[in-house]
Amino acid sequence: MPIVIEKLTHTYQNGSVNAFTALKDISLTISDGEFVGLIGHTGSGKSTLIQMLNGLMQPTEGRVTVDGFDMNDKKQRAKGRALVGMVFQYPDHQLFDETVYKDISFGPKNMKLNEEEIDKRVREAMRLVGLDFDEFAEKSPFELSGGEKRRTALAGIIAMYPKYLVLDEPMAGLDPAGRRAVLEMIDDFRRQLGCAVIMVSHSMDDIARSAEKVVVLRKGEIFRCGTPQEIFSLSDELREMGLEPPFAARMAGELRRRGMDLPKDIYTNEALVKALAEIKGGAHV
Amino acid sequence: MLSIENVSFTYESGASALEGVSLEIRDGEFLCIVGHNGSGKSTLAKMLNGLLLPTEGTVTLDGMDTSDDDKLLDIRRRVGIVFQNPDNQIVTTVVREDVAFGPENLGVPTEVMAVRVDEALRSVGMEQYADSAPHMLSGGQKQRIAIAGMLAMEPEVLVLDEATAMLDPLGRKDILSIVKKLHDEKGITVVMITQYMEEALYAERVVVMNGGKIEMEGSPREIFMRGGELRSIGLDVPAAVELRDMLKESGVADLGDAVDQEEIINGICRSLLKN
Amino acid sequence: MFKDITLGQYFPVDSPVHRLDPRTKIILLIMYIVMVFIVKDLWVFALVIGFMLFMTAMSRVPLSYVIKAIKPMKWLLPIMFLLNLFMVRTGTELFSWKFITITTGGVRQALFIVLRLVALVSGASLLTLTTTPVSLTEGLERLLSPLKIVRFPVHELAMMMTIALRFIPTLLEEADKIMKAQLARGADLENGNIFKRAKAMLPILIPLFVNSFRRADELALAMESRCYHGGEGRTRLRVLKFSRGDLAALLIMAAMLTAVILLQRFLPFDHQIAAFVKGLLGVGK
Repeated sequence: MPIVIEKLTHTYQNGSVNAFTALKDISLTISDGEFVGLIGHTGSGKSTLIQMLNGLMQPTEGRVTVDGFDMNDKKQRAKGRALVGMVFQYPDHQLFDETVYKDISFGPKNMKLNEEEIDKRVREAMRLVGLDFDEFAEKSPFELSGGEKRRTALAGIIAMYPKYLVLDEPMAGLDPAGRRAVLEMIDDFRRQLGCAVIMVSHSMDDIARSAEKVVVLRKGEIFRCGTPQEIFSLSDELREMGLEPPFAARMAGELRRRGMDLPKDIYTNEALVKALAEIKGGAHV
Repeated sequence: MLSIENVSFTYESGASALEGVSLEIRDGEFLCIVGHNGSGKSTLAKMLNGLLLPTEGTVTLDGMDTSDDDKLLDIRRRVGIVFQNPDNQIVTTVVREDVAFGPENLGVPTEVMAVRVDEALRSVGMEQYADSAPHMLSGGQKQRIAIAGMLAMEPEVLVLDEATAMLDPLGRKDILSIVKKLHDEKGITVVMITQYMEEALYAERVVVMNGGKIEMEGSPREIFMRGGELRSIGLDVPAAVELRDMLKESGVADLGDAVDQEEIINGICRSLLKN
Repeated sequence: MFKDITLGQYFPVDSPVHRLDPRTKIILLIMYIVMVFIVKDLWVFALVIGFMLFMTAMSRVPLSYVIKAIKPMKWLLPIMFLLNLFMVRTGTELFSWKFITITTGGVRQALFIVLRLVALVSGASLLTLTTTPVSLTEGLERLLSPLKIVRFPVHELAMMMTIALRFIPTLLEEADKIMKAQLARGADLENGNIFKRAKAMLPILIPLFVNSFRRADELALAMESRCYHGGEGRTRLRVLKFSRGDLAALLIMAAMLTAVILLQRFLPFDHQIAAFVKGLLGVGK
């Protein structure tokens, strides 16, 4: 069963002079195991939307159901929330316990699992995020490097075995190697846990690499929703919105303008090189 | 000129952050220091205005040693640093007064200060926010205020210690273009410390740090010819350079040491459209 | 949306009171407090309240805002009233039943205590309603600066206040984010007894503290980089100017204070004023 978002509208400070509508009439379905990339400007409503996915905020209109649980309903919300794992941008907002082990077990403990199950899950989660158990389990989370903190925070959510994993800018502030590692990790979770991933990112290149479906938000509305091919062929529109299309899509657009006959669905360097190789081959024949 | 001579730094815990680093930062140059997390680049940044003192070696600005307490204030006025977290470098509750914080500390007379503050805010395009509360601004705007706060001290060197790391792409672009403008128009020396390889393309010279040492040094063109080495120390090349390398590898086109998008597009057109 | 909170309760309009130098306003408040304390006569008190209302009208702050400031005392006031009513036994006895005795002195005292509290709080809130926290801090710093001679850390105190004002909104926002991150991990902040709930706050308080210490560290570095070295040799961007309006306000207040002292001196008893007013009214007929 999927996450169904129906006609979601949210206004902050409803009724006051400062009222601000962050989301307008959003309808969207996130299916099991799907990888959805959510992109938009700061202030496009992304963070409001993802907070509604696990009931951290309630909309002024419309509703979200997670596997049939209505997130507007206080009783059902807890059950729905248990299915949606949420990783926020800064691990510093999450890590608090004495040791990495205890911190990761916070979520599973709140789920009232037994000791044995908790232990199993913590170990599994640490393995998945690439934190060596012997080295890190007894370390204080506050002594870790930025990348290790991020992994610990991720593990804390993974250990809850979410069916849907929501990631808010999971690569922000990491160096290139760290970014690559996190992206690979997310692919791993998906394969091994079979969870759906909803990833918010400013970087279209990161989204281009792994998403199956891309949702573009603009001023609280869904501007476009489609496959990466469909979305990234709209380079010019994205640019107008102040969003930088993936590098390869931009290059392909520019080359097309110069009279090169390239397919419309190019958004990775690999695809661009392949298409150029074909042109070269064709020209030689 | 800022010169770093044979500088080492060891933390009290015994961990070593810098080992025998020597580097000269020339007046008016745009230098970029790249390196992965923990490569020592931020430690180096804090050496430039005496926030940290080397355990070995010396850092001098035009002959003034950062370990000389009497010179410290003068050095800090001339070497401004913008840090990573926009929230943690704004001191007061009104933008205009925050920009004035540095000049106030330096005892600049009030009338002169008012002119400098207005001018600094104009240089970063924030004059219309002079009376705003900093916490209502976006990350990029806060960083612009932080830069203005430095400009109001009339520095010769502007150090950006991962100042764009916490910003969204638009904020990042903003800051970069402002810094570029300050360098081009006012001749300010810029030292940009970053882990975004794209940002290194703005620089005239790139220094690559790894394990507390300088690993490579050269123009962006020279550095980005060594993609394999960069990757081996946890770094990357800009997407444009990656494309260039892939084109060469697959035998589609050899674009030499091109790093610039325009250059690469022209190169592709030249080698493919002619045929 | 903690971002929108306004600190203190500054009411942004332009009025003669708003334009006064903060130092003047602080001195006015001190004189006003003295006045409230030396008044021992209900009729003179009416004069003081009248003056307060006049100042409120001048400031163009709606009276409802001043009254709002009294609201938090809605329990304190009746308690103080009743305590004084029953405990004070001076003057003539009005009512006696078993151990309860009410005297004229008790009624007087009870009325006075309530009036004094209301007068004090509304006067102080008029100051914060018409003065921004920044200029208030600055006014205090300037007024206290003679204390520097006895090595009282005036500048440091003002700097601390400024930084606190600057960071309160930032910390509130951060607390909100941390709370959401822990809620998403299934933290239960609403159920259980008081001890359980206090314990449940730890995952929020610990990251908040740890982050605040880090912030403090980074802020210290940033301040040092901007040549901060204490208050010595510092100049200021904003220069407080003592205007004619300030002089007028101080003169009016001084006149008011003198009048109150004189009235107290020469009309020490309620019944005398009563007789006086009756006389006046009689003349009117």
